[in-house]
Amino acid sequence: MKNTIEKILKIDRRLIFLALTLLLVFPIVRPLGLPNKNIGNEVKALHDKIEGLPAGSFLMLSLDYDPATRPELHPQAVAVIKHAFRKDLRIMILTLNAGATGLIDEIGERIPKDIAPSKKYGTDYVILPYQPNPVAVMTQLGMDMFQIYDKDRDGADLKSMPVMKGIRNVKDMQLGMCITGTAMLDYWVAYTADKFKMPFAGGTTAVSQIGYAPYLQTGQLKGLMGGMKGAADYELLIGEKEKGTAGLDALSLAHIMVIALIVVANIMMLWLKYL
Amino acid sequence: MSETMLIFGGWVAAGLTIFLFSFLYKDNPFFKTAEHLYLGAGMGWVFQTVLFQTWIPKVWDPLTKQGDWTVLVPTVLGLTLVTQFFPRVSWLSRYGFTFIMGYGSGLVIPLTISTDLLKQIGGTMAPFMVSEINRGNIWSLVNGSIIAIGFICVLFYFFFSVEHKGAIKKASNIGIYFLMLYFGAAFGNTVMGRFSLLYGRFDDLYKYSAPKYFYATHVILAALVIYFIVDHFRTRKPAVEEEAA
Repeated sequence: MKNTIEKILKIDRRLIFLALTLLLVFPIVRPLGLPNKNIGNEVKALHDKIEGLPAGSFLMLSLDYDPATRPELHPQAVAVIKHAFRKDLRIMILTLNAGATGLIDEIGERIPKDIAPSKKYGTDYVILPYQPNPVAVMTQLGMDMFQIYDKDRDGADLKSMPVMKGIRNVKDMQLGMCITGTAMLDYWVAYTADKFKMPFAGGTTAVSQIGYAPYLQTGQLKGLMGGMKGAADYELLIGEKEKGTAGLDALSLAHIMVIALIVVANIMMLWLKYL
Repeated sequence: MSETMLIFGGWVAAGLTIFLFSFLYKDNPFFKTAEHLYLGAGMGWVFQTVLFQTWIPKVWDPLTKQGDWTVLVPTVLGLTLVTQFFPRVSWLSRYGFTFIMGYGSGLVIPLTISTDLLKQIGGTMAPFMVSEINRGNIWSLVNGSIIAIGFICVLFYFFFSVEHKGAIKKASNIGIYFLMLYFGAAFGNTVMGRFSLLYGRFDDLYKYSAPKYFYATHVILAALVIYFIVDHFRTRKPAVEEEAA
């Protein structure tokens, strides 16, 4: 028995990679539809915040993620945009991460196709160009945003667009949100939300989600989505099944495998040590 | 985007993903190629984004079309940073760095103290305020107590100027448990995050395995497996040599 356990503990790690691959691929080929019964309070808080905004309110959405964190953060962005359009909010999409511009183009192409075909560019939403130096942009957004954003992504005059009516700086906006896999959300909280008293929310990767709990406790963040689970929770709340929900099957199976491996390996180690 | 470009993009994406994953089996030239391409493509993307979305509309157009010469001030300050590469004039970079340091420090220090220190201390104390206690929200008080105890005990753990013994040692030990809980939660989330990213790539690979993309994933995967088999036999040492070794 002891020899067998020792052999199993020295298993080629590539076999574990293979098992993990199979577990993650299986639900993509054949979705299981496992239920999501635990919606995070911070996700619900974000949903309630947007749900409570009157039609015509202005949402500033800073999408500061690149392809490396796309599977976690892109579904979050799509879910929030869908919800905001359903509530007839005006949306301004911007980015302070050069790697995000391609992903924002993708969202820009999807809005008239399947996200919100009835919404008009320039009237209901606008996409701003990438700007370097995040801190300078965030500070300027609190004073006169047209000093730094005089044109939209395609070079059209921003100030004259109907979507920007009554907007001069972040104090005229009802909610700001940053979706990012970097520390950009910290900057938004410090340089915009706190400084100009702007209601702010966030979307982060699962890795950095825990670090934002203090901001939730103090109310500096009105809500937070963390990782693919956060996106799945939000999709459930708005009744739109997208990539976040689809990924939950795979995540659940992979987590069961990890838990099983940890338990089995510990039992084996204890067996070797005490029996 | 044209259909041809879409299919080509699918082949490139599927190929690079599989090439990078192939490292899990063993190092190979395809992995090396993809690794270098990743760095080059990333830098190229940032360069063209900055050029077309920032430099041209913010510097070139105002200068050439509107005759706005004031944009030269930040531009020249920025260019002084590049003089770092030329030792004879590298002293010029000090002006750029001076501006960045002064501007950055003035902006960052007060806001960081306010956001990450004062507001957090306020948040920790808030549940114990008379107005909160009068509301009779027991759970808020319990949560606040746990956070306050954890906060103080962890601070004791990182307080090295007093020998950890007696009551301080007990507080410090409790602090370790709070830290362990934090690390456990953070690690759990990290695992979930990494699986999500892996799932994302597999989801894309599945998409590119469709007939629309001419089975890009299948073809590239099969080609790579054939490469590994051929490489295995090609680099295998002769039996005689193995015995001698």
